[in-house]
Amino acid sequence: MEQNLQYFLIPFLHWEMMLLIWIGVFAGIWVGAIPGLSVTMAASLLISFTFSWDLNNALALICGVFVGGVYGGSITAILLNIPGAPAAIATGIEGYPLAQLGEAGKAIGLCTTVSVFASFVGILVLAVAAPVVANFSLKFSPRDFFLLAVMGLLLIGSIGGGDPIKGVTAGAIGVLLSMVGMDPSTGELRYTFGNIYLMAGISFVTAMIGLFGVSEALTQFRNSGKGSPKQNLDKIIPSWATFVKYLPLSIRSSLLGVFIGALPGTGGDVAALLAYDQAKRSVRNPSRPFGTGAYEGIVAPETANKGAIGGAFIPMLTLGIPGDAVTAIIIGALYIHGLKPGPMLMIETPHLFWMIVSCLSIASVALMVLGLVSVKPFSKIIEIPKSIIMPVVIILSVIGTYAIQNSVVDIFYMIGFGIIGYFMRLYGYATGPMVLGLILGPMLDANYRRAMQGAENQLIPFLQGFVTSPISLVLTISIVFLLFSQTKTYRRWRGIL
Amino acid sequence: MDDPKGSAAEAAAAAKDLSVYVPEAKRKPGELGVTAITFLLGALGYYFALGMTSGEYSSPSVFPKLASTVIMACSAVNFWKAVRRERPDASSPSVAQYLLPLDVLVVLSLLVIYCVALPHLRFIGSSYAFMVAGMVYLQRGKHIVRALLISAGSLAVLVAVFRYLFLVILP
Repeated sequence: MEQNLQYFLIPFLHWEMMLLIWIGVFAGIWVGAIPGLSVTMAASLLISFTFSWDLNNALALICGVFVGGVYGGSITAILLNIPGAPAAIATGIEGYPLAQLGEAGKAIGLCTTVSVFASFVGILVLAVAAPVVANFSLKFSPRDFFLLAVMGLLLIGSIGGGDPIKGVTAGAIGVLLSMVGMDPSTGELRYTFGNIYLMAGISFVTAMIGLFGVSEALTQFRNSGKGSPKQNLDKIIPSWATFVKYLPLSIRSSLLGVFIGALPGTGGDVAALLAYDQAKRSVRNPSRPFGTGAYEGIVAPETANKGAIGGAFIPMLTLGIPGDAVTAIIIGALYIHGLKPGPMLMIETPHLFWMIVSCLSIASVALMVLGLVSVKPFSKIIEIPKSIIMPVVIILSVIGTYAIQNSVVDIFYMIGFGIIGYFMRLYGYATGPMVLGLILGPMLDANYRRAMQGAENQLIPFLQGFVTSPISLVLTISIVFLLFSQTKTYRRWRGIL
Repeated sequence: MDDPKGSAAEAAAAAKDLSVYVPEAKRKPGELGVTAITFLLGALGYYFALGMTSGEYSSPSVFPKLASTVIMACSAVNFWKAVRRERPDASSPSVAQYLLPLDVLVVLSLLVIYCVALPHLRFIGSSYAFMVAGMVYLQRGKHIVRALLISAGSLAVLVAVFRYLFLVILP
């Protein structure tokens, strides 16, 4: 125990590590805020120029960028309705209406506070229960991941706007578009029509930037006569009573985020959407109706995606399996420095585990300070006239899209999606479900087919698995409950109608 | 944050801003056409999925066919719902006017020109031209010098931050 504490204190005793964590958080906030520039990209860039550094310093910087980057994605979602990352899509649904009411400062302040709380929840679970959570997450079979993706698709009801059928239409189009490219299982080409650019598929980040960024800009031009709302920045830090009010929801969503983050292949984006949906179903008296600026709709996704940070480290540090793309890159960094991530990592190099826990803790404190300090300058962005800010947003979208894989074709896709998204909005088709379909489509397809192959392509054994495996059974019951909870009978019973 | 319910209606109004052009109770101009287009997309998706390997429950064509079928079914429902609503008023804008008001049309045209110019003028040249043209147009020809300066300043910051600080390769 004493030894672990010594390891934990390493970053506190080295000023350069402290400094690097703070720099990382600061840079991460800005990288995360820009659509297309992802934490994954920042982490991979950092690997390239930190490989000659001391490992501790390199990890300190990467941990800082990770924490700051996940937070930064929500800033543009709240201010401009353009999520910096898929994990911030749900935040924008409630955050943007708040910014339109002049409450962007309060929204970002609350977002920062609950984000820091959730980061600590994730870190706490990482510190005390990592092996247990990791072993449990490994029990998930392809069928369970398929069920998880189905559960994710049910979110269409939550983020689909007014008409659920239009939401399902957009979601199904997203799933169909996610099938474009080379099938990862068999190598068969689907919907590529001989076009070499389509073989790699359609990046959901490209689609997201177009569907949210460019379509939002075009929609704003449609309403260019309207002035920008004046932001109230008097009371940014939420009161203690407000924090306590949202504490139960924060704890629930953070733990959901930790668990989803710990599942290999899933991350903050899925966690945030599931948490938003859970909040929408469970919160009886939201501060405002959901969809019009409910603070609960900011608390839930933000705590989930921050909780997922600690969660993503759990399988990485205990089993050598990355929880998400960023931890996969960190595994690469460990290999570069001669370490072998796996079950022996915690036994042979326990200092590394406790040092990462410590770096994440310091990064969370830095996030609190830097996040709150940034609220005022960030909030001023929204007061810039649309005629100036929107052309800049489009150029930012272009930079972000090109940076994904240095392809001009992606820019064309992005603008195409922007135009489609603009038309969709005009006819009441929400763009969120289409992005959801693009994110979950490959997860649905790959895991369904793996599960079916596991059942030797027999329908009955495949279906039996849903009730014979305990995890599958729980997930199946959850899906049935989620479907039932959308019926009028249930809503009447809960007093929602 | 403590008593925000009073402005809920205002937020709802902001969220439904786009329905200002045509009342919700009535069909929007071109709405039937949109449902037809989504149906056609589903039909084409299914048609091309027929050419993929199939025959087993785990074939690559399963999800493309499933998604296409859902699109077609939902489009049919959307069509039916749209038909049952009242026609757009005679005073409502035409489909083209509804879809592309002048500001949107101009910005979209600038975007297309920007895409075409990007490989030739490179990022800095084409982006600067796009920003200046966009700002000047949206400010109705006023503040041209301001637009030139703001575009130059913004672009300089973007290039400095992304190219030299974040080491991002620009188009």
